[in-house]
Amino acid sequence: MADVRFQHVYKRYGENAPVITDLNLEIEDHEFLVLVGPSGCGKSTALRMIAGLEDISEGELFIGERIVNDVAPKDRDIAMVFQNYALYPHMTVFDNMAFALKLRHTPAEEVGQRVERAAQMLGITPYLKRKPRELSGGQRQRVALGRALVRDPQVFLLDEPLSNLDAKLRVQTRAEISRLHQATGTTFVYVTHDQVEAMTMGDRIAVLNAGLIQQLGTPQDLYDNPSNLFVAGFIGSPSMDFFEVKLHRKGDGHAEIIIGQGDEQQRLTLTGHAADVATGQAPGAGDTSDGRPLIVGIRPEDFTLNGASGGDGQTISGVVDVVEHLGNEQLVYVRLPGAYVPEAAETKGSTARLGPSEKVSPGDRISLHVDTSRLHFFDPSTTKSLV
Amino acid sequence: MADITLPRATEQSVAKTRRSLGPRQLKRALLHVILATIAIAWMIPLVSAIYTSVRTFADGTANGPWSFPPHSFTLQNFVDAWTDGGFSGYFLNTFLVVIPAVILMLLLSSMTAFVLSRYRFRGSRLLLMLFIAGLLLPFQVLLIPVYRLSNFLNIYDTLGSLVAIHVAFELGFCTFVLHNFMRTIPKDLTDAAAVDGASVFRIWWQVVLPLCRPALAALATLEFTWKWNDYLWVITLIQSTNNATVTLGLSGLRGEFVTNWNLITAASLLAAVPTVIVYLVLQRQFLGGLFVGSNK
Repeated sequence: MADVRFQHVYKRYGENAPVITDLNLEIEDHEFLVLVGPSGCGKSTALRMIAGLEDISEGELFIGERIVNDVAPKDRDIAMVFQNYALYPHMTVFDNMAFALKLRHTPAEEVGQRVERAAQMLGITPYLKRKPRELSGGQRQRVALGRALVRDPQVFLLDEPLSNLDAKLRVQTRAEISRLHQATGTTFVYVTHDQVEAMTMGDRIAVLNAGLIQQLGTPQDLYDNPSNLFVAGFIGSPSMDFFEVKLHRKGDGHAEIIIGQGDEQQRLTLTGHAADVATGQAPGAGDTSDGRPLIVGIRPEDFTLNGASGGDGQTISGVVDVVEHLGNEQLVYVRLPGAYVPEAAETKGSTARLGPSEKVSPGDRISLHVDTSRLHFFDPSTTKSLV
Repeated sequence: MADITLPRATEQSVAKTRRSLGPRQLKRALLHVILATIAIAWMIPLVSAIYTSVRTFADGTANGPWSFPPHSFTLQNFVDAWTDGGFSGYFLNTFLVVIPAVILMLLLSSMTAFVLSRYRFRGSRLLLMLFIAGLLLPFQVLLIPVYRLSNFLNIYDTLGSLVAIHVAFELGFCTFVLHNFMRTIPKDLTDAAAVDGASVFRIWWQVVLPLCRPALAALATLEFTWKWNDYLWVITLIQSTNNATVTLGLSGLRGEFVTNWNLITAASLLAAVPTVIVYLVLQRQFLGGLFVGSNK
């Protein structure tokens, strides 16, 4: 068990722009850290650097107190689960799991015991004599986990291990991996592009984009206080809704935001923390002058359906596009003025998460009450969060 | 209703097929005639060799090679070839050359192919090109240099010189085929082995080689046949009867004035047996393996 530290790490291929730029990350001992980001963001490269499967172009990587830049994979004492499982097709399940132990000259008796124990934990004991091709996808996945588990390594690396499983199995295995982490207490580094996996499993999450860490924090922290537009759009499903707005400071000291233009224009009066930010009373808010353009983010659950047609400064109205019934809630896609779609958002347009009993149909014009104390503000030029 | 219409439709379609069967059948018959002719043409030398090998020399000279029915039947030619003709020794020599040569060339070329297909290093592409370029070299231009080299190295007229030249000469071809095959093995597999703690040598031996079995079997069959039948390198590098292989032994059976064809055909048939056995044993792998590595 050990911590992993990236210090000013770069990865370049040839003369091209770096795939990973100045990565500084400290993964604590026993921690479950998730590296999440869209494909091509450098998360798998970072993981493979820990494994020793990718060279480090610049900077230093520590596992424990040791710099491992030039240490071969076999001498790093790490175990890795690959996206495509990478089971040895010519070996039985037992031999797949025992391979690493045999290479370390572990006594045969102990090899048997450790494989047996791991197989029991994962429920694959009946398949120990089979070849990988005789197993289903889910069973193969367990063998891949088992192969890493028997090792009792310092660090556990998992590269999108659930992406080849069907939805139900994915949820089951997700919980299983969390259980394994609790049972072993080993440092886990988990790579995924799925923010749900990241949110549900990670002690901390590092969001990567274009080779840069966008934000590092606990799942709740990332959800509540995204540091920029990218993280705000990436974390949460459905994504946060964004609007291009103008800040308007009223004479009475209050502030409102103006959404949309011309006839479509709608206004929301700010309250609570959002008002403090907009009026410059919260630290770090920066420029809060009248007429300043901003991007505002609203989480879909911060909308509620409002019978009244508005006028209270807390309501915004639009036409319903699509309604998705999920049983316990419904996702309502609404055409709202001034909607802004950042690149990482999974949904285009604005989504409201409403209760299952609300009667809403496509084509309806509805009024949505907005919790204006929970708005997120972003600078349109830097995309950084205000506060 | 479906029960009624279904048979009717079938009957109609059968009638349709019957009408069009005429020309198609003719085509098929023609095809069979052509194929049979070619097959017979192929069989004639083999059948005549077998026929000749079981007759006596006297029968052949008295009644001509094609006289039928035969006036004699004997297996003595095979016995003579094996004992007096020295074929027991030639067989041993050939095995002593071919088996080590095939094993060595597969081991060495699989190592080269493994490194070239898995690891990127300065000059790796050039190295692969070099191996492939070697394939383009006509071996005739090498006969005299190799002959002189074997003299220089003091290995002329030894079985070792044959093993060495076979291995060296086929390394390019085997590397090329195995390299293409190994590229189809997912990189994750070798990465997984590296993370599991395997050294480069172990990854090659325990992960990559077992997965290359079809390619190795196909290459082994091909190379065994080629090297078993090799004549040119043998006459270039071997002089004494003690070190002769079967192909050299066969040519030695021809007399200066009289040639005992019955003995030669018997010896030739004996000489063909090992390649046939190797082919039959590895047939499946061989047929499947011919396409190995051709698709990326």
